[in-house]
Amino acid sequence: MRRVTSMVAVVALLSVAAPFAQQLDRRKVPPAGKPPVLQVPTWTTMKLSNGAQLLVSERKALPLVSFTISFYGGANQFERPGRVGIASLTAAMMREGTRTRDGEALSQALQLLGTNVNINVGGESGSISFLSTTEKFPATLDILADMLLNPTFPTPALERLRAQRLVALTQSQAQPNAIGNRVFSRVLYGAEHPMGRDVTEATIKAVTTDDVASFHKDYFKPGRAIVTVIGDVDAATVKGTIEKALAAWTGGGGKPSFAYPALPAGKPTAIYLVDKPGAAQSVFNIGIPGPPRNTPDYMALQVMNFILGGHFQSRLNANIREEKGYSYGVNSGFSYGKGPGPFRAGGDVVSEKTDLALIEFMKELKGIQGEKPITDEELQMAKETMVQRLPGQFASVSQIGSSITGLMLQDLPADYYQNYAKNVQAISKEDVVRAAKKYVDLEHLNIIIVGDRKSIEEPLKKTGIAPIVILDGEGNPKQ
Amino acid sequence: MSIAGARVEMRYGTAAAIAAIAIAVGASSPQARQAGTASQPKGSTINIPFEEYKLPNGLRVILSPDRTTPTVAVNVWYHVGSKNEEVGRTGFAHLFEHVMFTGSGNVAYGTHDKYTEGVGGSNNGTTDNDRTLYYETIPSNFLENSLWLESDRMGFLLDALDIAKLNAQRDIVKNERRQGVDNQPYGRADEIIVEALYPKGHPYSWDVIGSMKDLSAASEEDVKNFFRLYYAPNNAILTIVGDFDAAQAKQWVGKYFAEIPSGKPITRPTIAPATLTGTTRLVYEDRVPLPRLYIVWPTVGEKHADHFALEVLGPILSGARTARLTKALVYDKQAAASVTARQNTSEDVGQFGVTLSPRPGHTLTDLETEVYAIIERLKTEGPTPQELQGATAGEELGFLNNLQSNLGKSTTLADGAGYHDDPGYFKIDFEKRRSVTADEVKRAAARYLGEGRVVLSIVPQGKVDQAARPADSRKVTGGEEK
Repeated sequence: MRRVTSMVAVVALLSVAAPFAQQLDRRKVPPAGKPPVLQVPTWTTMKLSNGAQLLVSERKALPLVSFTISFYGGANQFERPGRVGIASLTAAMMREGTRTRDGEALSQALQLLGTNVNINVGGESGSISFLSTTEKFPATLDILADMLLNPTFPTPALERLRAQRLVALTQSQAQPNAIGNRVFSRVLYGAEHPMGRDVTEATIKAVTTDDVASFHKDYFKPGRAIVTVIGDVDAATVKGTIEKALAAWTGGGGKPSFAYPALPAGKPTAIYLVDKPGAAQSVFNIGIPGPPRNTPDYMALQVMNFILGGHFQSRLNANIREEKGYSYGVNSGFSYGKGPGPFRAGGDVVSEKTDLALIEFMKELKGIQGEKPITDEELQMAKETMVQRLPGQFASVSQIGSSITGLMLQDLPADYYQNYAKNVQAISKEDVVRAAKKYVDLEHLNIIIVGDRKSIEEPLKKTGIAPIVILDGEGNPKQ
Repeated sequence: MSIAGARVEMRYGTAAAIAAIAIAVGASSPQARQAGTASQPKGSTINIPFEEYKLPNGLRVILSPDRTTPTVAVNVWYHVGSKNEEVGRTGFAHLFEHVMFTGSGNVAYGTHDKYTEGVGGSNNGTTDNDRTLYYETIPSNFLENSLWLESDRMGFLLDALDIAKLNAQRDIVKNERRQGVDNQPYGRADEIIVEALYPKGHPYSWDVIGSMKDLSAASEEDVKNFFRLYYAPNNAILTIVGDFDAAQAKQWVGKYFAEIPSGKPITRPTIAPATLTGTTRLVYEDRVPLPRLYIVWPTVGEKHADHFALEVLGPILSGARTARLTKALVYDKQAAASVTARQNTSEDVGQFGVTLSPRPGHTLTDLETEVYAIIERLKTEGPTPQELQGATAGEELGFLNNLQSNLGKSTTLADGAGYHDDPGYFKIDFEKRRSVTADEVKRAAARYLGEGRVVLSIVPQGKVDQAARPADSRKVTGGEEK
């Protein structure tokens, strides 16, 4: 277009340097002011007559209310092996109609309230929640209660959801990151462990409405529930509102056992390669089952991981992305909970640098165990960041809710945040190295790479890092 | 999933991290002004108190103290995006964004991260078709430091530039493209669509991420020229939101930014919206297991009043299960596993897109026909009062939720200033959106959702027959690597 061309011409003409005399001494780093004082929100703990715990925290700056019912335990505790995916399907089925509102009526009512009720069941906990304006809080709570207590689970809805999930499953089988996650869990935990099981075509096809109804009945019980209300409410009166809305919710329940079956014996370090012909990148997931949240090594591990792969200038990202340019970003982290959630390091790497990237990953994993000593600056920055980042966890009503509920779900003390800085500051370099050695076991590491086998297998073999095992997209051996 | 033109590219991470940043932005006087509760209808929740002023070098400064959380968001908004790139240099604005993080005259590489993320804060940059923004959220005692960091790269980037830094970021951006486009099923949809939607050479005819070839071609000289024209204070807006003292902030802003000289005036030619006379049918073979259909119409941008009606039309067609396309195709006929319909509004142009994933046994050809029938009905009868109400019922909650984020507020204010010369444009935006009438929606549908459109089928390799009307569709190859 003519206009565009003329714009380009203008750009070229005006690109003339304009140096100027600098007055200020910009080499001097401006000093930081006095650190802000940490303000942890306070909350009131009560008990509803049905046994559920109630936590209320007032924040009246904005006319917003965050409401959540959280449940101890999740799919790992409540799903039967042949019914993997039932937790998530049940959550979806609770949107499909109640005794007085069909699925359309529910959807329309929520849309007109300008909000949504979210229902999620994860591995070790679940929730049903919404964010609303103060004005719409009672009406939204009424709908949430209806979905929780009176769902009808119509058969045609299950058939529709089943068909949609089969399509989504097929789509995910072409998505390299989804393949990587699936195979990672399978290799680390095996098909028999709740953390290694996954939804398959067979499990989606097996679910019946009876399964859904019985999962609902067994799982969503007040005795294992924490009701969290944060925002523009009065702690003194909100309990009455909630008792009334949830009056029909009775039936006990309690915290489930979080005992997990024994993990499969650790396998010698190996590279598990999943072929994705023609892939532009190799997706890395390197890891091992990790400790539970209540490990005494938690703080040491958090400091260790911050240095290793927990921020932009972490060792992994500074090396593999910033210095080498092999990736748009790599990182590492733990998935803490009641069970052996994994440690994982990974990222997407350009195919032709797959071998070199693996060498660098291994170098950094070894480095954090002592070969590359932790500097004073690294330790100091990790601790400062962890401490100074805490106030950001209380910025919104939803964040306050999950910060408080998180303490309950992990059985952490109520003064956890008050003591947080002290506990972070206590960590030494020795603690970090010890934690790395203990939990990042280089002899039993699982290296899962999804990529173009034809171009990456030989270079990976030549690194000599570990034997290569070829797996299919489900994590089963293949030749 | 993004539909043509919606893609933003960032220094790292995903665009979801800044999903709060949606409110666009009027025309008013450029002098200093204060806005606050005084001009608000009593009890309105749609408010962000702010004050603004301009430095003699043209830098626009917006301040909005809020002591709720002891953090501050510093947001520097430059009015430059992928539409300002030259032909043969697609992807350059975003590549440049990456270079802005490699250090400047007085700030060594790594220092920026050290004084943001390294003190408990965060930083990132994001580029779209129209603007590039850089931001950090820091503990409030690091505000002066952030102003030092941002002023140094605005004034002295080139003092520290070398080709090695450019090359390093080039490799990273190519990996960003591989990760977001080339190695993602359906990942090339956006760039294929915009290329078909706009005439060759049109500033919106390429995707923000750019092509591998053009990324390879970017030179140090390109960086210098781009910086000198677009990264001058007269093309920037500095917005500070959060826990700070306004008088102190003004003093620091003066100290660090006032001595940076103005750049040359920037000519912004009018960019014509695209018009298509007929339907362009394309098919692209991808490494996907199932086909997917994209129908995209060229519409209007932020400066045209019709964008409000088109934005309201989106949730009338998809989203809630009573939305027309969702109800008909996903629930009643069960011919689609999913459907989305939405308007994407850029500064000068817009696109309205419908994306469909079929259920097995249903063809893209049939789905396309169904979509048109539903839209034709809407053009005749218009939306019901309840549909209209439902489409905007969530606006207040969305606005209030955004108020909980200093970064979200800073972007709302800066977008208003940048696109409409009014940081307080969010009130006008909110009112206009809420006052869209059934007749306006009906007319917008009739005016824009006609024969002039792009229909793209993405199909599994070797399965061109799965496209919508395959015999009428032209095969495209997409922006293959190398």
